[in-house]
Amino acid sequence: MTQLIAGQLLNGAIVGTLYGIVALGVTLTFGITGIVNFALGVFMMFGAYAAWYFSDTLGLPYPLAVLAAVAVTAAAGLVADQALFRFTRNNLVNGLLVSLGLIAVLEACALLVFTSTPKELHRVLPGIVMVAGLVLPKMKLVVFALLLVVIFATYAALTRTWTGRAAYAYAQNPEAAALMGVATSRLQTGVVVYSCGLAGLGGALYASLYSLEPTLGSLFILKAIEAAILAGIGSVTGALLGGVILGVTEGVGSIYLPLAFRDAYGLVFLVVILLFKPAGLFAGRR
Amino acid sequence: MNRSIVAVLGAAALGVSLAAQAQDVVKLGQIEAQTGTLATYGWMGYQGAKLAIDEINRKGGFKVGAKTYKLELVSQDTRGNPQEALIQLKGLLEQQKVKYVFGPFLTNVFNGIEPYATQNNGKFLMMGGATAIHAMLGKPNHEYLIRTWNWDAGESGFGQLMVDYLKKQGAKKTAMLFQNDAFGKVAVDIYSPIFQKAGIDLQIELFEPGTKDYSAPLAKLAAGKPDFLFPGYTDAVLYDIVRQATETGLFKRFFLVRGSMGPGLKNKDLIDDYIAYLPKYFEDAEKKEPKVKEFVAAYKQYYKTNDFPYDQAPLCSSSCYDHVYMLVQAMQKAGTVDDVAKVKQALLSENYRGLWNIRFDHTGEAVFDFDVLHMHKGGNITATRVNPH
Amino acid sequence: MTRLAGTLVIAALLAALPLATQSDFVLTILVFAFLQGMVAVSFNLVFGYAGQLSMFHAAAFGIAAYATHLFMQHLGVGYWGGVLLGATLVAAISVVVGAICFRFRLREFYFAVVTLAFSEMARLTVLNWNSMTNGSLGINLQEKATLWIPGMGVTRIESTVGWYYLALAALGLTLLACWRLVHSWMGRAFAAIRLNDELGDTLGINVFRYKLVAFVAGSVMAAFAGSLYAYFLGSLEPGYLSIDQSLGIIAMVLLGGRSAVAAPVVGALVLTALPHLINFSAEVRSMVYGAILIFTILVMPQGIYGTFAQLLRRRHA
Repeated sequence: MTQLIAGQLLNGAIVGTLYGIVALGVTLTFGITGIVNFALGVFMMFGAYAAWYFSDTLGLPYPLAVLAAVAVTAAAGLVADQALFRFTRNNLVNGLLVSLGLIAVLEACALLVFTSTPKELHRVLPGIVMVAGLVLPKMKLVVFALLLVVIFATYAALTRTWTGRAAYAYAQNPEAAALMGVATSRLQTGVVVYSCGLAGLGGALYASLYSLEPTLGSLFILKAIEAAILAGIGSVTGALLGGVILGVTEGVGSIYLPLAFRDAYGLVFLVVILLFKPAGLFAGRR
Repeated sequence: MNRSIVAVLGAAALGVSLAAQAQDVVKLGQIEAQTGTLATYGWMGYQGAKLAIDEINRKGGFKVGAKTYKLELVSQDTRGNPQEALIQLKGLLEQQKVKYVFGPFLTNVFNGIEPYATQNNGKFLMMGGATAIHAMLGKPNHEYLIRTWNWDAGESGFGQLMVDYLKKQGAKKTAMLFQNDAFGKVAVDIYSPIFQKAGIDLQIELFEPGTKDYSAPLAKLAAGKPDFLFPGYTDAVLYDIVRQATETGLFKRFFLVRGSMGPGLKNKDLIDDYIAYLPKYFEDAEKKEPKVKEFVAAYKQYYKTNDFPYDQAPLCSSSCYDHVYMLVQAMQKAGTVDDVAKVKQALLSENYRGLWNIRFDHTGEAVFDFDVLHMHKGGNITATRVNPH
Repeated sequence: MTRLAGTLVIAALLAALPLATQSDFVLTILVFAFLQGMVAVSFNLVFGYAGQLSMFHAAAFGIAAYATHLFMQHLGVGYWGGVLLGATLVAAISVVVGAICFRFRLREFYFAVVTLAFSEMARLTVLNWNSMTNGSLGINLQEKATLWIPGMGVTRIESTVGWYYLALAALGLTLLACWRLVHSWMGRAFAAIRLNDELGDTLGINVFRYKLVAFVAGSVMAAFAGSLYAYFLGSLEPGYLSIDQSLGIIAMVLLGGRSAVAAPVVGALVLTALPHLINFSAEVRSMVYGAILIFTILVMPQGIYGTFAQLLRRRHA
């Protein structure tokens, strides 16, 4: 039994980083543009299908396909920002509505183009390793490592570069930041594009592990939002930790308790945490 | 004077030709989920029915008695929503005056329309594949119902035959991993007693639909050291379950009662045995059966594509291509397109040989031949055709 | 005074509608629209007036539907007994959920997520408590809704016309109740909270109590709608409590408008009837739906009702 638990701790952490990368996008978008971008789920789906297309249809090597997918998703994010999100700054409800509309449109497009038949990427890195009594596919570890690198790189960029600190300043006090010369609308657009890029990366890496269907984004965005809230909106490392905690809770919970309630464990945990720490576990922290 | 005669003759000629062109049309309604997360079941039904109707119409329609009729498909997308389906069915029966309806495949949709449909018993026929229809067949006031998919249990059921085959492979313990939804629950109810009777130990886990990472349930089930994994039941989940089960080496032998061969083939080098029930193994049948070959060619031509949906095609075994032809044949045999009771009687007496050999048992449930596919390590597939007649 | 006259005219027209059209198809669409309208109006009480984005509404709707049936089945009560017990159950649950949320001062977005969490937990319970709810297979309702009609006694409501009037009456009562609430001193407290609840606190308004009242009132009205809806459709399924339902309700309110009590009904009418008026292919329909949502935000943020009201006001001004 302990081996099962240990294994699920590890697996949960890995699955959690996938939640975490999208959660990071959610938290950045909320901090800088004041809306919760539900559509990050479909951007993840966009990135996944893009990676699949570049890799399996166009024949690009997988790493290149991932980069191309991220670029294309970020570009799509730019278009969405200029056409839609730009008009919903700091308006939570409008942002929600616009996201819902975008989700309906993009999922319908994906269904038209790709149909609901599941697509699978070719096996990028077959083979397994044994870690802590858990049999893990090598690719999962690679994805884990890559996502961690990107998340920490984001953290570093936010705390050490001028743009990053400008973003923080803006999140704390928009007027003061503007007075100090922070190009507000550029910053906001930049964050939206970056978040979409992150979601695209998550999707492209997701494609190496799981099958693709047009609705894959809707489950993930919910988990990502739970993770972002758990950690406290505005916290980068928090987004990662929130995702990991969520992934682990689900995995370990499924061992002891009926699997069918898996989604509930994360939710219960979330509610309990929010009752004692209404701003999230790591609020205030970077 | 001449001009008016010419005018009158001209008008008469026009009238005659118009009358000759006036077509009698039989409308075929369809209510399925063609979009949304549950689109798998509705889509193929739509594709197949549309093709069949086009073929029949292009040949000039069909004759019943002295009249020639053409078919018209009135297809509605329920999106898996019972409220939509109810409104759509009312539109079909009342506005479009449809007497023959294909669908639904989804249980929740059927539950939503059943009260209204039952109120209109005797005015139309409903040919659907939903699990919930099975329980309603034969009940009073449900004569309008026909179920176009076969059933795992019962005298003509294929579940028993599948488990018998499994037993011959030496299975002593099986792990069942199914979705926690309508069919998942029914599958557990059907297969638990069958496995028990066969003396095979069955360990059951249900997962939430939408799951992608099966690490936890697979680890949990593998701890019990079963011989076979019995995963359910749509390709969407099978691709992930089979992949994750095989790449971790936790399972090497699989037993399925739904889904395509795709998941097995993708992981063929890591699988020892992959036993699946399939309404038809199209990849093989295309080579061996002339009707199937024609169908595939016709599909590609009509839909202007080089991609035949091999994984979806087995779902054409329910309220699809064959059933349009069966319906037409039944109308011709009964000598009427309006008397639905007679048409149903004719349908139930048919032994149809199309893509499938289909007949309906006395309750109105379809029985058709199917394939048991056994994929061995490396991808070599042996197919056994079973005729439950 | 003209507003009252206008309302009476519309009510009279709606009441006379079944005499003009015999189409079951049209009446069915309207019944669904009225019931969805009830849910949307009650949601607007919490969202538009008190400013709280609740994702619990679909759960209230679904729990009441199941509860009505289960109370009828296990306690042998009649239809309205079941409805009232169901509403009471929902009231009790929403008091607990609301108390938890508001006691801990969860704001805007966090409130939405926690109500979502509770809603999902309710859905998973309904989905898995097989012995009570039959899980994912749902329940086919054999019993029917009944109503005591003077002169006829207790009759079953089975015809679409009967349901039309019942749904119209229920919607009317809901609108009346909301209108009274909004135009009372409670309504003014809601408005204060919506604008700035910290300020409301300093002004001596018991923010907690009013938020809770709005939340519970809204949930109870949704509960009544749920009980009616289930018995009109004739079946229950866990999908009643899904997130899609909650999102659908929000879309109706945003499309119709938040500023007037009756505005969401417009949204409900449009979104219920539209799929059956346009005959697009399935995916195109989804895209049109999405485009409508986006269009509303960019071009008509006050919703259809709000925009028209504004136009009329400008004309008269």
